[in-house]
Amino acid sequence: MSGGTSSGHSRISVAGLGNVLLGDDGFGPLVIEMFRCEYECRQDVEIIDLGTAGLDLTPYLDGRDLVLIVDAVHADEKPGTLCIYRDTDLLAGRAQLRVSAHDPGLQESLAQLKLVGQAPSELIVIGVVPACCECGNDISPTVLSTCSVAVNSIARLLMERDVDCHRRHAALEPNVWWRGFHQLGVASPRSDLQNHDEYFSKLRTRRPAGIIGE
Amino acid sequence: MTTRVTIDPVSRIEGHLRIDVEVDGGSVQKAWACCPMWRGIETILRGRDPREGWVFAQRICGVCTTVHAMASVRAVEDALHLEIPANAQYIRNLILIGHALHDQIVHFYHLSALDWVDITAIPKADPGRAASIADGISTWPGNSRRELETVQNKVKGVIASGQLGIFSHGYWGHPAMRLSPEMNLLLFAHYLQALEFQRKSSQVVGILGGKTPHVQNLAVGGVMNAINLNSLATMNMDRLGMLKSLLQDLVPFVEQAYFVDACLLAGSYPEWFNYGRGVTNYLAVPDLPLDARATHFDLPGGVIMSGELHSGRQIHDWHDETIRGAVAEDVTRAWYQGAGAQKPWQGKTDPAYTDFQPEGKYTWSKAPRYDGKPMQLGPLANVLVGYASGHPLTRKWTDAALERISSVQGSHVSMESLQSTMGRCVARAIRSAMLSELGVRHCQLLTENILRGDDTTYNPPEFPRHEVAGVGMHEAPRGALSHWVVIDKGVFSNYQAVVPTTWNASPRDEKGVPGPYESSLLGNPVADLEKPLEVLRTVHSFDPCMACACHMLDASGREIAQVKVL
Repeated sequence: MSGGTSSGHSRISVAGLGNVLLGDDGFGPLVIEMFRCEYECRQDVEIIDLGTAGLDLTPYLDGRDLVLIVDAVHADEKPGTLCIYRDTDLLAGRAQLRVSAHDPGLQESLAQLKLVGQAPSELIVIGVVPACCECGNDISPTVLSTCSVAVNSIARLLMERDVDCHRRHAALEPNVWWRGFHQLGVASPRSDLQNHDEYFSKLRTRRPAGIIGE
Repeated sequence: MTTRVTIDPVSRIEGHLRIDVEVDGGSVQKAWACCPMWRGIETILRGRDPREGWVFAQRICGVCTTVHAMASVRAVEDALHLEIPANAQYIRNLILIGHALHDQIVHFYHLSALDWVDITAIPKADPGRAASIADGISTWPGNSRRELETVQNKVKGVIASGQLGIFSHGYWGHPAMRLSPEMNLLLFAHYLQALEFQRKSSQVVGILGGKTPHVQNLAVGGVMNAINLNSLATMNMDRLGMLKSLLQDLVPFVEQAYFVDACLLAGSYPEWFNYGRGVTNYLAVPDLPLDARATHFDLPGGVIMSGELHSGRQIHDWHDETIRGAVAEDVTRAWYQGAGAQKPWQGKTDPAYTDFQPEGKYTWSKAPRYDGKPMQLGPLANVLVGYASGHPLTRKWTDAALERISSVQGSHVSMESLQSTMGRCVARAIRSAMLSELGVRHCQLLTENILRGDDTTYNPPEFPRHEVAGVGMHEAPRGALSHWVVIDKGVFSNYQAVVPTTWNASPRDEKGVPGPYESSLLGNPVADLEKPLEVLRTVHSFDPCMACACHMLDASGREIAQVKVL
């Protein structure tokens, strides 16, 4: 299982934020799942989809050495632009995270943990500027095309910090169950997206009935 | 002169709740609650396999994931008349208790306490005096003079640095802030200590659910937790022992810090028992089933109309025909096509957006009604219904709360007073104290059942070809949640989630009758139009999911209150 139980044993967290039912807001969870399938990390790296946890994020940041957050961000840039923020940007209000429901969370959780001396030693946000965050929509082609870049950015950030992380010889098959309900292929894919479309065309809900996960 | 104040806490982006009030002579004369975001879960679930509905349903909301998953599986099980094993009931109950305690602790300390607690007053406190105040009312070990001094120094440091950060948007120094510096210090110390118990309660959910947020262990027909006392990889005595100690660790914090603080706060702001009464019809559904067939429950359900506890009606179980027939959702004033009310099983979700029209349609929230009447949901409904039915655990903690509040305030506080803004805050603490006891109890029930040799956790569902309908009920932290499903040829043909915040934030209906938020704000004082703290106190007392919490959390520094003069 990729997730953890917030037991506090992981020293490093790679976390996706966002609502998978709201189009580009699902960027974080999708990138996290792609990263888990394409890269292998040492055991104390927790790779986790945190959804839209709001203030409930606190336990997942508590006492970590390093936290990488992947999320949709509100910035004056073109949709699909990747932006990197550090915790100081968040606390200074320079980064506006979460363009969808339950907007607050990360800043507040971080500030609370700072007060009790349990804030992560380092926190980095890899954000994408969304094109559309409407309920029931699939992720937009523009944002989809940045997913691989984000995945590789996570790996690079970990390697730069001497965290054991390497590309798998054969990628695992991602479990992106939520994309089943979107009408894939209706929007005409751009040529640079073909790889992604091929990648996802193989994906179907492959869970046995009533059982989720592995 | 009437002034219109719009509180749109997440106006920089799409949000969940906007409150408009008309203020005249220092109090609210009219109020509108608007949910500016449409949840289209119904559309997403139609045509899907009912066995995986819960996986989608738990993504409706990031904060209340577990509750929607639970209501979804219960709805399908109800449609199939499918019983689940006793172990599955206990495991689900423990998840629900872990989630609720987490949620209610976070609500009190991290989302609403700063409506009442003034951080900027903390440097003036005498930590020794604060410790001795605490000593007389609580056995909590985190109240030592040394501990309180440490917290005070942290706060002084933050204030001196000029970087109040997330706390810079509180209404500090507001005339409605009235705690002594010592009480501000004490409550803020618990605000920080609460983080540890937030983590412990979410660990309960994680151990059983496989992962938090978004549990993975549910299934239509039970849970997917394997039980084998001889295996290291499954639910075994070791795992049960971990659960037990986590649940036991929560008890002292909930009973000696949270519960005591809520009573202290209530006794220090007695006038807030006079505001925020609003809709006095209450609905709670029974929860924490004790047997496979769900015939007995540890939390009672019922209906109280017009605030009259003695004439309340009990809801004994989820098969109660009255509630199944009484719930309907009115769309007259909501951004959906048509007017009037529909039963959830026949409910439609066809949008018809018009912009905010206070005399017309003005919200995405439908108006759920019970026999045509608005109902208030949440811990207060829970407590009143339990008290009225003579439920011993409810009575024990409610009586304890009233006694404590009366002693702080120096005059008698009655049951009647609980139907108010402050009453909702107190009721949440009462419910938390009950749940912390029940957590230990349900862990014991699970262990005993397993030791009797029962290791079943799942009964496989079978879907008929013909149409069946069901409702799944759950008494969630914000109140009675129900998912209504129609299944035809093995797939959902209709899915309607009637959520507590929809009941409480409901707009006016066909007859023009306002919902609970709207009614509760009438007569609410507003001392400073630029800082409508008192409005937020009443709205926050309902715990409106995350949305209204943003007033103090807006890190971008943008204004959240727009004042319009009519």
